[in-house]
Amino acid sequence: MGKQVVQGAARAGAQARLARASAMTPTKTLPMIQTVDLSKSYSLGGSTVHALDGVTLAVAAGEFVAVIGSSGSGKSTLMNMLGGLDQPDSGSVIIDGKNVGSLKPRDLAAYRGETLGFVFQQFQLMPRRNALANVMLPLQYRRPGVPDGEARAQAALDAVGLGDRGHHKPTELSGGQQQRVAIARALVGSPSLLLADEPTGALDSRTSAEIMDLLVTLNRNDGLTIVLITHDLEVADYASRVITMSDGKIISDEPRSVEAA
Amino acid sequence: MAVPGLRLVFNAFGSLAERPMRTLLTMLGIIIGVAAVYTMLAIGEGTQKKILESLDGTQARSITVFPNWTRGRSSQKRPYRRLNEADLLEVRALPGVEAATGNLSREYPVITDATDWSSDIRGTDQDYLFANDFELEAGRDITETDLARKETFAVLGQTVVKNVFGGQYPVGAKIKISNVPFTVIGTVAKAPETGWSNGRDRDNFVLVPRSTLRDRLVGGDYLVRNHVNQYRIIGENQKVLDRIEEDLDAILRRSRGLSAADAPDFRVLNFSANRQQYAETQRTLSLLLATMGIVSLVVGGVGVMNIMLVSVTERTREIGLRMSLGARRSDILSQFLTEALLICILSGLIGLGVGYGVSTLGLGGDDIEMIFAPEIAILAFGSAVLVGVVFGYLPAHSASRLNPVEALRHE
Repeated sequence: MGKQVVQGAARAGAQARLARASAMTPTKTLPMIQTVDLSKSYSLGGSTVHALDGVTLAVAAGEFVAVIGSSGSGKSTLMNMLGGLDQPDSGSVIIDGKNVGSLKPRDLAAYRGETLGFVFQQFQLMPRRNALANVMLPLQYRRPGVPDGEARAQAALDAVGLGDRGHHKPTELSGGQQQRVAIARALVGSPSLLLADEPTGALDSRTSAEIMDLLVTLNRNDGLTIVLITHDLEVADYASRVITMSDGKIISDEPRSVEAA
Repeated sequence: MAVPGLRLVFNAFGSLAERPMRTLLTMLGIIIGVAAVYTMLAIGEGTQKKILESLDGTQARSITVFPNWTRGRSSQKRPYRRLNEADLLEVRALPGVEAATGNLSREYPVITDATDWSSDIRGTDQDYLFANDFELEAGRDITETDLARKETFAVLGQTVVKNVFGGQYPVGAKIKISNVPFTVIGTVAKAPETGWSNGRDRDNFVLVPRSTLRDRLVGGDYLVRNHVNQYRIIGENQKVLDRIEEDLDAILRRSRGLSAADAPDFRVLNFSANRQQYAETQRTLSLLLATMGIVSLVVGGVGVMNIMLVSVTERTREIGLRMSLGARRSDILSQFLTEALLICILSGLIGLGVGYGVSTLGLGGDDIEMIFAPEIAILAFGSAVLVGVVFGYLPAHSASRLNPVEALRHE
């Protein structure tokens, strides 16, 4: 629905688009994510691969969106664009009012550190630091510094149910616990948007369900906007909205709020 | 900013401690480099001190005159001619001359009832002790009057006192030099250490009036012509040396029948020229030592760069993660630069300790003096820090420019 509204809109006038997009989103007021005609292609061994081909998307604050698709569908590239980790060839990404494509490297870094929280498939924890230190890591890059970093990290660990494991190294934790630590690390900076890239890809189904329940709780209780990438339909079922991608395009976009409840 | 700075150092220390063996090996290069620079500079400083010491006393304002040996031997036309007493008196009267002494010496046995001892018998005058930085220990020195009267008086060096008199007070004692009886009138204090004595015994001599030596011992042509082997002239200061040299050149040429155009048959050593040569040698030595030190530091620096590049590659995923968590390029840059710097700072401190340890162990032997001045330590340490910045920058910069997506995917 938001798609039709913004289609064909000029690059200029982001504010106007934002206003219209929010007007069209029934549940929440401001769109958290707004992409317009996003394209990215790579040349791979002489041929050109269109990783993203004109993706226009609006996600409201407080939504829990799952993006599904087979590998090569462009879902990872979309995630990297949202995360400010990769730049589009054309089109724009506006997140929480910031035009991510036009940010300078140092502002982009601040954007990643303050607006976003990342959760990765392989957890990406620092092996020689304990859970608490891992959770505190993003705060190290805050300017000005965060004086009560340890208390915040402890609070984040409490929120994921690992309040008593702060002094354990990652190797002393199970896979599910490691992913919880990673989620706590993503939460510690109070992000507006959580980006999760196959967060259950390395976990068994029972642990996957626990992690997904945790994400749903964070979404419901704290109103955290979540965009999750997965190829697992069962995982996608936890989301309130499922976007399906293929060949760099969005081929379906359906709400699922009732079932998940 | 004080707290993030401390955390940078703390984190860098942690990541170096994770790989202790590798860190130690990398440090070794810098440790050796700094120890080398520090020791080299200390040796340079020690050598300079030695040279300055040798310039103490009258040495730095001395002119020495010899007859020219080589010409006399190779050319029949102009036979070798010695210096003489009359010219010395004229030179002594020149303006700017503080002392002028002549020397005429021969090896003779010194004989007492108890023993005999071969020594250098030097025919000298009242200026000899002063012009050679000797000091009278007991009794009195030879005077002008002693020369005029050809007195059989002797002043003994310490080696002679020890070997002929067994350290007993010799003043007033009778000795024979060859067959001539002499009376000991004084003793000379031990020669000052100059640093360049090279193990020669500088105290084995007996001073007698030059006129007496010629008349009673040497005789022959020396007596007829009043010969002197060499002059040693001390100027009032260094500035007058060149003028004294000109004046004495004129005196000797006139006396020896040489025109200004003739090649002289005598040799003049003006110390002010020597001094410049010393300075030149010292500069070359310092430069050589510093170059060796810098080369070893650069080699160590390349080692640091190499290990930092390996470290960046190994930690590519960590760098990608940090970037995704909000690290700026400058954060990544300072993270790796701090590690390189920490390696070099720690190595620098250890290197200073090693350099100092080498000196206290006396590995240089007695001939090499080392002076570990604070400036030298700061210079050596500073060069280690500089190496850290210069060789740490490239790996740190390449880390800060990694693409976060690719870095996160790196295996």
